Amino acid sequence: MFRHTPLRYAALVLLASAALFQALTADYFGLEILTEIVILAMLVIALDMVAGFGGMVSLCHGALLGVGAYGYAILSTKVGLTPLMAMGGAVAVTGAIAWVIGAICARSHGIYFIMATLAFGQMGYSYVFEAPLFGGDDGLSGIARLDLSFIGLDLNDGRSFALFCLGVLAAIYGAAVLILRSGLGRSLSGVMHNEQRMRALGLTVWRVKADVFGLSGLISGLAGAMAAQHVMFVSPGLLSWTVSGEALVVVILGGLGTLVGPLLGAAVFVLLKHEVGALTSYWHLVVGMILIAVVMSRANGIFGWIEARFGARIERRAADAVRDIDPREVKTDA
Amino acid sequence: MLETRKLDKSFGAVHVTRGVSFKLERGERRVILGPNGAGKTTLFNLLVGELTPDSGSVHLAGEDVTTLPVARRARQGLSRSYQKNTLFDGLTVEENLGLAAAIHTGNATRLYTDSLARPEVREIVAEVAEQVNLMPYLHARVSEISYGVRRQLEVGVALATRPLVLLMDEPTSGVGPEMAKGFHDLLNNLPRDLTLLIIEHDMDLAFDVADTITVLNYGEVVFDGLPEAARGSKLLKDIYLGSWEDA
Repeated sequence: MFRHTPLRYAALVLLASAALFQALTADYFGLEILTEIVILAMLVIALDMVAGFGGMVSLCHGALLGVGAYGYAILSTKVGLTPLMAMGGAVAVTGAIAWVIGAICARSHGIYFIMATLAFGQMGYSYVFEAPLFGGDDGLSGIARLDLSFIGLDLNDGRSFALFCLGVLAAIYGAAVLILRSGLGRSLSGVMHNEQRMRALGLTVWRVKADVFGLSGLISGLAGAMAAQHVMFVSPGLLSWTVSGEALVVVILGGLGTLVGPLLGAAVFVLLKHEVGALTSYWHLVVGMILIAVVMSRANGIFGWIEARFGARIERRAADAVRDIDPREVKTDA
Repeated sequence: MLETRKLDKSFGAVHVTRGVSFKLERGERRVILGPNGAGKTTLFNLLVGELTPDSGSVHLAGEDVTTLPVARRARQGLSRSYQKNTLFDGLTVEENLGLAAAIHTGNATRLYTDSLARPEVREIVAEVAEQVNLMPYLHARVSEISYGVRRQLEVGVALATRPLVLLMDEPTSGVGPEMAKGFHDLLNNLPRDLTLLIIEHDMDLAFDVADTITVLNYGEVVFDGLPEAARGSKLLKDIYLGSWEDA
């Protein structure tokens, strides 16, 4: 189950402070990069919920992002809903699709789960690429942003939109923490630790997996709707498996199952993409080498490494406290 | 409370259980004995639904549950502990018990509240922790407690689902004589209306706890009766008890 530690709180405060500072002081390009980081962070929180806390490594979260983006685009431009209603509709549709995918894939594990989700993602990509309704490979343009003028916020202004995205990210993070700390979150944790035992205790395991996958889909759909508003254009590339793959790289780079780590991973990934990408078009090679180094170091991503290095003292204190309970019985097995 | 009728299970040409039939009354404590490979654990797997029998049936509280999946049988009151610990290692003792109690109380899929914060879950956790002597370890992670305490927790997790019938697969497996004695007291202190079916190799514990004894050999029931009769059975001595009597 997810726990906030002092280190995680500190990391959150640092990240939030840096993001707010950037949102308030950056120029146009800085705001664009910040918004890109924030939207990617939304997606990787959704992915970390299922992969890091439920052992469901998904390769269809890019497609879910795309469903949210296209859902918003179609509902707002073709159906004629207000942007707020379109956003709600897109999120709901994405959540429902994710729940169905989760329910179907819940009985598979490991590489089979990954392949099943990849297949769902690629089916979505192929359909959107071919279907005239979705504009084929031309995509859809003319997408409006939410109208929040009634509270004095003009989201067509880059700074306001970046701040709004930060607010949405904060809400998503809070929701993810609540979910992971709820009865459902605890059950998901139990399923990841020992699925057979949870079943033997009477839990309908597939339902728990599907429910969390559906909730993760809601967040992915929201990230997609924000992505569509950010660039005011959607294309089939949003649903591509490479988006899912990048999201997975970010989660692993940041720290799988830490929720805070993927936020850091999103920032590192996007900054590397832009900073190294300005020097060479082979920036993927640099990201790849860093990822290999992180994986080979056996640390749980960048944040996992930080936790292992600086959280060790806290762990030792906790272990000492446990040993103080009864030194005769409580001992660590070899 | 729990009845099996002519349970058969084969893996290829190997017959693991052959026409196993017995009936447990409410509150009965039955110990299953038998040498290694007699089919005891397979029988447990058939009872809880982890294996499907080739023929025969399983009845729980009068209902045929043979085709029900594992989780449904568990929700109907059939719980088990395992020979090898199947605990949630990264979690605390309290969280382990809480997971089981949350499932029993319907809090396992709640979205807005922490199941462990629910009073009905906390009540079960405290009660079970008391029953299986885990109160001092509630906040310790499983990885931090000794093997013997883990065996207690293994039973505790199964108990936290408030079962009608509790199946225990060698609860004292791997623990020392002192801890095994503790298990005698633990089992004898469980509520008398709880039906127990126990696989056990510790003969002292078996004869101390059992109301009835069933002996399996090559998948067949070769003895079914009172402990006193089991002690005097020549057949039992030949296939199983000889080494114990001689020891």
